[in-house]
Amino acid sequence: MQVCAGFLRTFYSHPNFTYFMIESLAHFKPGLLRVSAGLLLMLLVASAAFSQQASYVIKGKVTDADGPIPGATVSINQTTLGTITGADGNYTLGVSLPPATYTISFASIGYATVQKTVTLDRQTEVSLDATLSSDVLNLDELVVTGSTVRESRRQLGNAINTVKADAIQKSGSNNLLGALQGKIPGAQITQNSGDPAGGISIRLRGVKSIQGSSDPLYVIDGVIVSNNTVNVSQTAVQNQIGSTAQAGTNRLADINPNDIESINVVNGAAAAAQYGSRAANGVVIITTKRGKSGVPRINFTTSFNVNELRKKVPITTYGKQFGYAGLRLHTIAGVSAAAAAANNATTIGVNRNGEANTLLASNLVDVTRYDYQDNIFRTGVGTDNNLSVSGGNDRTTYLLSVNYSKNQGIIVGTDFQRYGLRTRVDQRLASWAKVSVGLSYTNSASNEKANGNVFYSPINSINITNNIYDITKRDANGNLLAVEPTRVNPLTTVEAMQFSATVNRTINDVQLNLTPLKGLTVDAILGVDTYSQVGRNLIPPYPYQAAAGLPLERYPFGFASTVTNAATFYNMDLNVGYEKDLAPELKLNLLAGASYQYSSSNLLRASGESLAPFIETLNGGSTISAGYGLDRYSLNGQFVQATLGFRNIAFFTGAIRRDRSSKFSASESNQYYPKVSASFVASDLEGWKNGSIGKVVSTLKLRGSYGQAGNLTGIGSYDRFWQYNPVAYLGKNTIVPSPQLANPAVRPERMKELEFGADASFLNDKIGLTFSAYQQQISDLVVNRVLAASAGGTSIVNNTGEMSNKGIEIGLNATPVRTKDLSWDVTVLFNRNRNKIEKLGTPLVAVNNVAGAPVFLVEGQPASLFYGVPYARNEQGDLILNSQGFPQREQGTQTGATFEPKRTSEGQPTGGFVNGIIGNPNPKWTGSFVSQLNYKRFGFRFLLDAVQGVDVFNADFRTRQGVGVGEIAEKELKGELPRGYIFANYLIEEWRIDNGSYVKLRELALTYQLPKFLGINSSTLSLIGRNLYSWDHYRGYDPETNAGGNSDLMRGVDFGNVPIPRSYQVQWTLSF
Amino acid sequence: MDAFVLITTNVIKSYISKNRDFPIRYFKKMKRKLIYSIGLALSLGLSSCEQEYLNPGSASQGQVVNDQNGLLAMVNGLQQQYTISRAGAMYSGLTANGLTTKELINLNVGNTDEANLQTGTTAVQGNNSLVTNLWNKSNIVKSNADIILANIAAAKDPSVNAQILANTHFYRALALGTLATFWEKAPIAVGENATFSSREDVLKEALASIGAGLTAAAINATSTVGGIDIKNSLLALQARYNLMLGNYDAAYNAANQVDLTKKSAFLFDDVSRNPLFETSFSNRNVAEPVADFGLPASLAPPANDGRRAFYYNMTTGLNAGRASFFTASSAAVPVYLPGEMILIKAEAKARQGSLNEAVTELNKVLTKQTDVWGIGANLPPNSGPQTQEAILTEIYRQRSIELFLSGLRIEDSRRFGRPASERTRDFYPYPLAERNNNLNTPADPAK
Repeated sequence: MQVCAGFLRTFYSHPNFTYFMIESLAHFKPGLLRVSAGLLLMLLVASAAFSQQASYVIKGKVTDADGPIPGATVSINQTTLGTITGADGNYTLGVSLPPATYTISFASIGYATVQKTVTLDRQTEVSLDATLSSDVLNLDELVVTGSTVRESRRQLGNAINTVKADAIQKSGSNNLLGALQGKIPGAQITQNSGDPAGGISIRLRGVKSIQGSSDPLYVIDGVIVSNNTVNVSQTAVQNQIGSTAQAGTNRLADINPNDIESINVVNGAAAAAQYGSRAANGVVIITTKRGKSGVPRINFTTSFNVNELRKKVPITTYGKQFGYAGLRLHTIAGVSAAAAAANNATTIGVNRNGEANTLLASNLVDVTRYDYQDNIFRTGVGTDNNLSVSGGNDRTTYLLSVNYSKNQGIIVGTDFQRYGLRTRVDQRLASWAKVSVGLSYTNSASNEKANGNVFYSPINSINITNNIYDITKRDANGNLLAVEPTRVNPLTTVEAMQFSATVNRTINDVQLNLTPLKGLTVDAILGVDTYSQVGRNLIPPYPYQAAAGLPLERYPFGFASTVTNAATFYNMDLNVGYEKDLAPELKLNLLAGASYQYSSSNLLRASGESLAPFIETLNGGSTISAGYGLDRYSLNGQFVQATLGFRNIAFFTGAIRRDRSSKFSASESNQYYPKVSASFVASDLEGWKNGSIGKVVSTLKLRGSYGQAGNLTGIGSYDRFWQYNPVAYLGKNTIVPSPQLANPAVRPERMKELEFGADASFLNDKIGLTFSAYQQQISDLVVNRVLAASAGGTSIVNNTGEMSNKGIEIGLNATPVRTKDLSWDVTVLFNRNRNKIEKLGTPLVAVNNVAGAPVFLVEGQPASLFYGVPYARNEQGDLILNSQGFPQREQGTQTGATFEPKRTSEGQPTGGFVNGIIGNPNPKWTGSFVSQLNYKRFGFRFLLDAVQGVDVFNADFRTRQGVGVGEIAEKELKGELPRGYIFANYLIEEWRIDNGSYVKLRELALTYQLPKFLGINSSTLSLIGRNLYSWDHYRGYDPETNAGGNSDLMRGVDFGNVPIPRSYQVQWTLSF
Repeated sequence: MDAFVLITTNVIKSYISKNRDFPIRYFKKMKRKLIYSIGLALSLGLSSCEQEYLNPGSASQGQVVNDQNGLLAMVNGLQQQYTISRAGAMYSGLTANGLTTKELINLNVGNTDEANLQTGTTAVQGNNSLVTNLWNKSNIVKSNADIILANIAAAKDPSVNAQILANTHFYRALALGTLATFWEKAPIAVGENATFSSREDVLKEALASIGAGLTAAAINATSTVGGIDIKNSLLALQARYNLMLGNYDAAYNAANQVDLTKKSAFLFDDVSRNPLFETSFSNRNVAEPVADFGLPASLAPPANDGRRAFYYNMTTGLNAGRASFFTASSAAVPVYLPGEMILIKAEAKARQGSLNEAVTELNKVLTKQTDVWGIGANLPPNSGPQTQEAILTEIYRQRSIELFLSGLRIEDSRRFGRPASERTRDFYPYPLAERNNNLNTPADPAK
């Protein structure tokens, strides 16, 4: 296909898409590009179409039972013409149309849409009023279900949840995903780190993939945007964290929450079928703000923010130590008789599981202890600012916005800055043609420190270092001094090390919406998301290396790196819709579409070790290494969908999508995804409203769907080949076959989902309820199956697994009070999901990580369990203590993933040491409670966010006790626990399992609407708090944490993570 | 063409069929809109073409194994995989052997797998990462070597062909021998559910490879990576494995042919680092040599043994193992030592009852002032009882000192029938990754 290749090449050679479009428009040459030729011809011809039409003015007023409705949309069906009502509910719509009869829709959020017909003939001024009635379930709202496709909620057979701009703005978070926490049924949204540039992950209805990401697909104004995590700022850790943990920021951090008008979250496979092979994780459809016709409207928001550490962990400052001051790991280190004699120490024999006694120091010596938390944490300040100008007329609308924000983190030296521009222009070309262009640019920059997983991160360094050193002392040259041997002075981590990233990103789209014939719509989108990331790392040579003796993995002689990633994603979608009344009571909607998607990323990574003095880049390295990766794939798909509607009460939809991607093996090139769904609005049946049931149940919609969707995230672009990789080795050409063998039949993971649900309102719409129950069966699950090394590799990625998710989602909103001055709304969300790996092909797969967390995939169990050394317990579940009164490791016989405990006649554990399931990082349920109270000009709102029944592997807790700086160490020093307690527990991995359940006061906002002044229409002053309090029993900073970053395999592990700050915000918004 | 175009066309067709006067009534009016709408549909639809994306940063199996240079690059990969990183066979073999036979002590109980090897017996399980890495890397080096040997016809140049064979057989024999050192049984042929052979058969397979390697080495024995004296290394392995099998004449003859004036070593640099230095001996957080070569007091060498200064770093604060072949990232590690060859000859003679010849060889080690690696005990000749038992014990003692931290002690300890207290395991359990995925995995040894 020559055209395609030419187009792609031309497109690709223009890194700046904006420039490309402008150039194409300005310097159009016949034959340059067939696609742009098509687009341009459209534009040129459009103006000619006006000439055959007459001008009319349609005027009127839109009201409800209480009075006028401002901001209601008035639009002429089958055209793109429309306007909105003013503050008095009046509207004026000037149009140029051929004389005929038209249907006009009147719509507003919270009201049922009303349609009226009007005949345009000789009379050029027509008056048309409408009265709307409330519709809390928004059944007649048109929701975006994918690229250009909008469907009325009434006809959807599955849940689509909508979050509007006002719910985002008062969240106190300047990260879009953070702002959604607690607001979406079926979603678990976790802030993985408190680093200001840290990632936030979102999972809809549980884990979907064990090899890939369970991150949903994000679509902004029809452009499929990347939320990838490409680590450019934390490359020094790459030699330690392996491939499981995903350090770095997920790129949705580049999106300014203030630009968002609404977010539709599609949880299920059926609704998302339009996105085929990329839909299984759900789809988040984001619509940005647009201009509205009228005088220019200016919106300005500014805020001042304060971030602080919410809670310290207990670090003992009790001035004692076992043995002698130089005894490292004084609580757990064995002390030989010779060492004890040499240091005037006494010892005591401690027994573990009947093994030979270990001698531990039993005497105490005086030391001075410090709390290093005071040295690495600070109170950070910041500001978020947004300015937008919008307006237009009935032909053209526009919106321009600029934003700037900068926030300091609570770790000394960390911050995140973002600024950006966005513009959206909608231009009506003809009564039957409209073009829309969106351009945006964002610059995100972060200053970071090592974020967990390595012992030179600020938090790890204070956990792993005995706190008996005054870390602020300096030598005559002003250099910091060594602390405990092999450890990094915690001040070095925040003073000397520099990790930073800068991202330049542009997301652009051009859309055409055509209605060439009555009932026929043709929509096209060309979208591009492209960004470049530059990351820099610097670990200067430690001035105290001679004394500290740091291992090479801590780069004792310095490390510097530069990493760049240039990524481009684009999608071209074409959707054709056709609507036809087959019979008076039967309506047919046909939809057909095609999509082409392309992804490319160029990653260049270079680092230098053993740095020359003063040099802060890899240029100073005496050993330099570098690598380059190019990842490319394309996907194209087509779909058709038909919806039959009966009397606007019952709807039946069927669709099928076909996909082909360059990732698939040749034998798997056709992937088909069917779906069917049905909805039934029972309350619109005749007699319902006036019947006795109608008095209680005002609205009732029943829905059900079955659909299939795919997931590509688990398969690599080149998985179909056995890769023979080059290795830098002694200056010789060296090739090493990958230990991962090739998958003979690469295909997407396939999810089949059955969903039922109901939307209802009760007692005259005072209470709204939405309920969904779903069952997902995932087949062709990609498993990185461990191979017996005797088979010639250590792993193979195969589509051999199966997984399931079952759950329910309940959303309840109620308005207990609504008077003229006082209103109170509450919303409750409850989600429950049960995940299970149905088939793995092997009993266990270890998820390797540097945290020492025993994360495993276990067949027949939920994903990512903690599986390791349990306590020996008796039948009552109590710990079996040994003769010294200490808990013990379990012993018995291991069979596959399970074990049978064995006991001696005295009831003591015996047999081999065994492993079992010791914790589950998947929550039993999540939920939230929102209360919004408005009294005259005051508003008070809070959001409680709960995650319950979840375990966290708290690696840091044990480290603090073993190093002898934690709360248990203090108890042992004070004799409140027997000497040897920490040592006895040390190898029991269950000791590190913590209850991670929490209820957080996620958001608290007090707002006051200022009176009008100086021409300012509206102005609001808000005091906002975020993450103010957490009710939990966690033995660390915060149970909401993930050392694995955005990894979906390594969840709920705490290993040096930055805690999520408590933040306060004073926000002022005004519009005029 | 694409399904959607078909659909679009059908939608329009059905519209036309239901509005039979369509052409007359609408055509003029709608012509342009339709043409441009359909034109747009077609031009965008064309872009949904198929493309194949290959990875320019890696090669495919077909490319590599069918090319002489590809095979040469793969040979270098054998040594890279065997020696480099904490997951390599060298680190795990030397460390596991050291912790099991008390050459090394774990410095931090947080190093769970190292701690478990030190504890030994049931604490060493199939999930032990050192045991798993040692097994995996040895098996992979062997299976990669088999791929090279199976495709050797691609090396058209006879000299290069021989060079590839000689080098590949060396690494294959080394991998097989490593498996036979630490496990009772191991698979020889590669495959799903590979069958296990006894360690004797594994060693015989290694010797077969050595034989083939020596034949090729007669034509071209140049090391592809550099640093390895292929011919002498093949002979050294021949001596070592024959000794393990009890073929004393063959062991003696092979050891006797090794040129002791030649160095043969695995090379490293600042990127491809000496794995023991990188992980353990550059710091004091993982493992450190035990005093007196980890020998019981009865076997501890005298204070004036010259090898103490060679194998131990006495500087306070530094890891005692930062000496011998582990002083820097770029320090080379020998494939064999002259002392090993001499002691193999001594042991072969001693076990065959030729005690005088055995003592003669033993004294060469005791009185050696230095060798190509700078190792010299510089002690007086043997003066102990001239019984076979006493001489064999002395040979064991000298092997333990002369060949400190070379990964051979677990085999020596078993072969000399040392007391169980001197090692925490006899053989290692089979890794869980093997057991869970290979139905033929034998039962684990008790200890």
